[in-house]
Amino acid sequence: MKANESPALQGRVVEDEVQLTLLELCQASGAPRERIMTWVSEGMLEPVGDRPPDWRFTGVSLRRTRLACRLEQDLELNPPGVALALDLMDEIMALRAELRRSGFR
Amino acid sequence: MKYKDYYEILGVPRTATEAEIKGAYRKLARKYHPDVSKESDAEARFKEIGEAYQVLKEPDKRAAYDNMGTQWQGGQDFQPPPNWDAGFEFNGRGGNAGDFSDFFESMFGAQAGGARGRSRRPMHAQGEDHHAKVMIDLEDAYRGASRNVTLRMPMTDASGRVTTQERTLSVNIPKGVREGQHLRLSGQGSPGVGQGQPGDLYLEIAFRPHRLFRVDERDVYVDVPLAPWEAALGATVDVPTPDGSVQLTIPPNTSAGRKLRLKGKGLPSNPAGDLYVVVGIALPPADTPEAREAYAAMQLAFHFNPRAGF
Repeated sequence: MKANESPALQGRVVEDEVQLTLLELCQASGAPRERIMTWVSEGMLEPVGDRPPDWRFTGVSLRRTRLACRLEQDLELNPPGVALALDLMDEIMALRAELRRSGFR
Repeated sequence: MKYKDYYEILGVPRTATEAEIKGAYRKLARKYHPDVSKESDAEARFKEIGEAYQVLKEPDKRAAYDNMGTQWQGGQDFQPPPNWDAGFEFNGRGGNAGDFSDFFESMFGAQAGGARGRSRRPMHAQGEDHHAKVMIDLEDAYRGASRNVTLRMPMTDASGRVTTQERTLSVNIPKGVREGQHLRLSGQGSPGVGQGQPGDLYLEIAFRPHRLFRVDERDVYVDVPLAPWEAALGATVDVPTPDGSVQLTIPPNTSAGRKLRLKGKGLPSNPAGDLYVVVGIALPPADTPEAREAYAAMQLAFHFNPRAGF
């Protein structure tokens, strides 16, 4: 199929411009609601708002949630295992960024 | 179609217990998981391992697979013998349709891979959201750009076969977008069911590696080599940025490794990132008598011991 002649699609940058409700995060990540609630209670996702209907997740949560889903399914990890893996991966990313700043690729 | 030796893929003997198969799978899955692994063929290996485990972990699939006999070698041309699956029943679970080899699909069917949780869909439902990755150049993020993005989506046709459909979208890449961010394109996911809304399409942004620039969030780094006299005496040099070259003043006595910041010349944003020039010093080779003389004259002039701190 060829690209339409219509003007280019305009997207929104999720991380900068979008906040997600619990329902939207479920839909966008494919994760079941109960699973996201577990991950919130593990401190792995930190929405603002007191009760689940008021929760608002930052756009960054989407990437984290999708990564968590893949790790859980593919490596058969339990919630604390997923949380540990994500923390360690954050640390590796920070160390790699530090290396890049110092001139290593 | 090639025969797949699932035991060989997991590195276990045909007599392996369920526990051994699970252990072998988990170890390999951790090693080759595309989110974790740095191996170049991680994604392909991971799919292969996952497929092998799908078959060997379930006693009925494993029995059917074993029933084909042991005379096959991995990679050998293969046609399933007639009635090889008579008397076996498979229940689909886990995995994504379209991710399996021809071999797997001819044996267990694309459905056995299992589209997840689709059996009890309500009359009206929002279409599924889709995700894809799009590679752009750093320059596109500096200026904004319009890019054609080709997406391949597994679709199930009327007869239940999984085919891949391609579509091309023209997408505006907003100025200032950063690596790892997602663009949400409303309504570009799967069509809704009944009166449900269509899903959204999320594009994850990745930058192609650049010959000159490294990117850290909003900041951009570039290595700039200087001649020893430029670093020592100061100079004005042309420095490349993703937005064209700029003139940079090098202060006298600049040492190697020093970072000079060009404020606001990183990725455009609010506030914009910075561009860091990481200074290197390139030594001219001493390959002519004049060059050797010049170095000898430096030696006399400086009485310089770079290892004085040892």
